[in-house]
Amino acid sequence: MLRFIDARCMLGERCIIREGDPNTKEAILELMDRCHIEKAIVYHAMARESELPAGNMALIGETAGDDRFIRQWCALPSYFGEYMSAEDFFDAMKQHHVTSMRLLPKTCGYSLRPHSIGKLMDLAAQCHMPVFIDLGTELTTDESYDLCKMYPEVDLVFGNSGYRENRRLGPILEQCPNFYLGTGNYVAHCGIKLFCEYYGAERLIFDTGLPTGSATAAVSLIGYAEISDEEKALIAHGNIERLLGEVRL
Amino acid sequence: MDFRELVYGQKPFEGVFVFDVHGHIGFEQGSQLGPNDGESMVHTMDRMGVDGICVSFSPGIRGAWKRGNDQTKDTCKRLPGRVFGYAVPNPFHAECDLTPYFEEDLGFRGVKIHGNIQGETPENDPRYAHAFELANRLKLPVLFHAWMPYEVDRAADVASRYPDLNVIIGHGGLTFARDRAVAACKRYDNVFCDTAISSAPDGSIEWLVDKVGVEKVLYGSDMSFFDCIHTLGKLALAKLSDTDKEKILGLNAKKIFDL
Repeated sequence: MLRFIDARCMLGERCIIREGDPNTKEAILELMDRCHIEKAIVYHAMARESELPAGNMALIGETAGDDRFIRQWCALPSYFGEYMSAEDFFDAMKQHHVTSMRLLPKTCGYSLRPHSIGKLMDLAAQCHMPVFIDLGTELTTDESYDLCKMYPEVDLVFGNSGYRENRRLGPILEQCPNFYLGTGNYVAHCGIKLFCEYYGAERLIFDTGLPTGSATAAVSLIGYAEISDEEKALIAHGNIERLLGEVRL
Repeated sequence: MDFRELVYGQKPFEGVFVFDVHGHIGFEQGSQLGPNDGESMVHTMDRMGVDGICVSFSPGIRGAWKRGNDQTKDTCKRLPGRVFGYAVPNPFHAECDLTPYFEEDLGFRGVKIHGNIQGETPENDPRYAHAFELANRLKLPVLFHAWMPYEVDRAADVASRYPDLNVIIGHGGLTFARDRAVAACKRYDNVFCDTAISSAPDGSIEWLVDKVGVEKVLYGSDMSFFDCIHTLGKLALAKLSDTDKEKILGLNAKKIFDL
């Protein structure tokens, strides 16, 4: 039985909810059970949508005592004393067992260039911490190339790729070994098979995008992909376990 | 048939009739997608246990309508009983007549309307009338690309004016327009929704079935844009009875596609 670790999941109360969607932590856990998802990397909806500092702290409370959730904090470069310094942010992550961070440049209105997030990214590189960011909502695929080139020592996991991105992704995959792609919304016909054939299963990271993505579809895409069992295991859990296993806080 | 066990074991959907009402073949100009010829799609269908698919030729929607429909015809001929066709009208070419594609059994089973990439033509535009009259006369399904609320409303308008054709609201049941699609399904007996969308959260198909009844929901994948595995898995693992899943996967389509 293929086991999965979800690399992109959001917990907590959202502004916009729709009837029928998995809107609670319990609903997400039920879906994880149904889809044989063992663990999920989670960040907090409040950190993304409305109040990053409070959201990061809320995550600690909501995941306390539950070893199925792997904590992720959303990063905010702090100037004018708005938030913790980069050093304090990493100290706090260590204290709260947070093992990855997520960038929200569009949502929070900051630059991805070194003059802005350089300290955060230097510390991520020192700790071998993977950094997550969503395509489309937070940066364009072209901008993901710039990010990979500006921070070659950081493993960058890009989620939310659509099924129409291959012409843009190809050159980045060829030139940026630190580029990893989340599979949740990468749903083109035979997309997983083609990706493995050209760029290797080592660059794909299973994710769902819960609660707005579909875990049932995401596990099926990997389970039924026309690739080897070894490749499926890498995508489903092996690659993200390796990345998180290298983190030294 | 325990659909969940199929997915857990990565087994094909054998022993159940599976028909995909929403397929595309042909080169996609705007982006590189997966393999998009009929043979590649049938290869995936064989792996998954999908019996048949109804497709339109994508470049023919944006460009040469006759070449597009002829490409669909050729694909149906090469893959009889597996690939069926939607004939696609072009509102800017007055000479466009779809009748020849239905005069003998060439594999065509319906009409596809995709107004937003045909110069933002409204889905109920009079220039599509000949296609609607043909579909109404032959009692064919008409698949609408219906992403936005106004597109769903226009498709519903066609259903009201042509009661003998069956409207399929492609994508619409599960996107920004799901409330409109539900209203249309409830109001008109000849309106159905398909499941072809990548970004619908878990629970959305269950929600739709609850609102409109299982008989109104049809399995559609959007292959070769999306992989058909995507929606098959979502359906198989949904919180629905296996009887309901069988209806959505193919039994409902059997009734309206004359299969």
